[in-house]
Amino acid sequence: MSEKIANKTVYTLLEVAKSIQKTLADRYTSEFWVKAEMNKLNFYHHSGHAYPELVEKQDGKIIAQFKANLWRDDYQQINANFLRTLGEPLKDGIKILFLARITFEPQYGLSLRIIDIDPSFTLGDLEREKQETIQRLHTEGIYHSNKQTPLPLLPQRIAIISVETSKGYADFTKVLDTNPWNYHFFHVLFPSLLQGDRAVESIRHQLRRIKKVISHFDVVAIIRGGGGDVGLSCYNNYELARDIVLFPIPVITGIGHATNETVAEMIAHANAITPTKIAEFLLLKFHEFAVPVQKAEEKIKSKAERIIEDEKYRLQSVMKLFRSVTANVLAENRGQVRSMTRMLQQQSAFMIRNEKSLINSIEKNIANLIAQSVLKRGFSITFKNGKPVKNSQELKEGDTIQTQLAEGAITSVVQSTKPS
Amino acid sequence: MSKTPNYKEAFDELQTIVNDIELGEISVDELAEKVKRATVLIAICKAKLASTEEDVNRILKELDNAGE
Repeated sequence: MSEKIANKTVYTLLEVAKSIQKTLADRYTSEFWVKAEMNKLNFYHHSGHAYPELVEKQDGKIIAQFKANLWRDDYQQINANFLRTLGEPLKDGIKILFLARITFEPQYGLSLRIIDIDPSFTLGDLEREKQETIQRLHTEGIYHSNKQTPLPLLPQRIAIISVETSKGYADFTKVLDTNPWNYHFFHVLFPSLLQGDRAVESIRHQLRRIKKVISHFDVVAIIRGGGGDVGLSCYNNYELARDIVLFPIPVITGIGHATNETVAEMIAHANAITPTKIAEFLLLKFHEFAVPVQKAEEKIKSKAERIIEDEKYRLQSVMKLFRSVTANVLAENRGQVRSMTRMLQQQSAFMIRNEKSLINSIEKNIANLIAQSVLKRGFSITFKNGKPVKNSQELKEGDTIQTQLAEGAITSVVQSTKPS
Repeated sequence: MSKTPNYKEAFDELQTIVNDIELGEISVDELAEKVKRATVLIAICKAKLASTEEDVNRILKELDNAGE
């Protein structure tokens, strides 16, 4: 097959390649497991094949690298397996344990054909990254920082990191904006990718933007939803978790339905599985403010009325007491006055009557005394029929008259009368 | 009390008045004044629940000025 050119044995490129191909095929007869870091996945959508770039690093330096092939059917099966086991697709920058076969094609050269990848190895690696992030935050003493950042009494102004068209964003803003209590929320969207590796830098970028206008906000809400539970390992990223935990105002998360809580969710001020729940958390804070205010209004009203009522009652009872005491005194006095008046009247009438009869008898006595003294001086009184006679013309011949003397009396018959 | 209290101060002061009135530490002489004050505080709190003074455009302008 080789030819001689100027005394040299010369092979064609294909001959060399085929020789290598044969040697490798003889030497590497079986498949074998390899662990490596998949630096780049290099997935091509139109063909469905991927050409991963595999490396092994030591102290950050690449000490081995290899091209690999992942054919469409294998890719689909492995990727589905990954999504099922990890909730993550095959992606750049993960550590993988894969079943490989050495291949050499004259046209393309040497590569490793990936036949299968064990997702549990990668899972362990992702879990390790998560644990490392948690450990680092603890070591730096900042793990609880955002939880200790106080939430204002009314977390009313919200910077939302989300995707405008996502269901999560729609759910969240709907619950806030259409609440039946008419609580008013103010929110501004800071759009960001929310899953996959690029989400880390995208979210961090928006956090930096929010920081510039931080005085306008009470709380940051990272809201995801509707995108499926895939690609959430970005929330275990140390840089992102650190930015969140050190953020100057509380960060709340409503990231997703993942059963496995991510670091960002763990260290956030508050976390809920769904955007709706995290909106309800904010409404609850409003209730905690509004209900006591409402109660205060009712209490003050009823208590004030009660105080006034009590006071009115007290005043009335004092007045009643005063009135009854004074009425008693008056009645007593009035009775006294009345009985004294009656006594006075009786007494005076009695006295007047006494005096009058005394005077009468005195008068009678005086008249008698005067008459007696006149008679004693020789005068007499003549009566006819018991009546004193003062004029001779009252008598006529034959009338019987009595004459009263000082001592004794005479009865005579008139012989004649003569006018004076 | 000359300046208008912010809503947190209003909320705290309101709680104090409620406590005082519940403990019967308010006399009839003070009552009218306290009730009047409570009415003002309740109005402040309720207004806060229903509004903010923030404006999206102002914030966006501020962001631009900060230089992204």
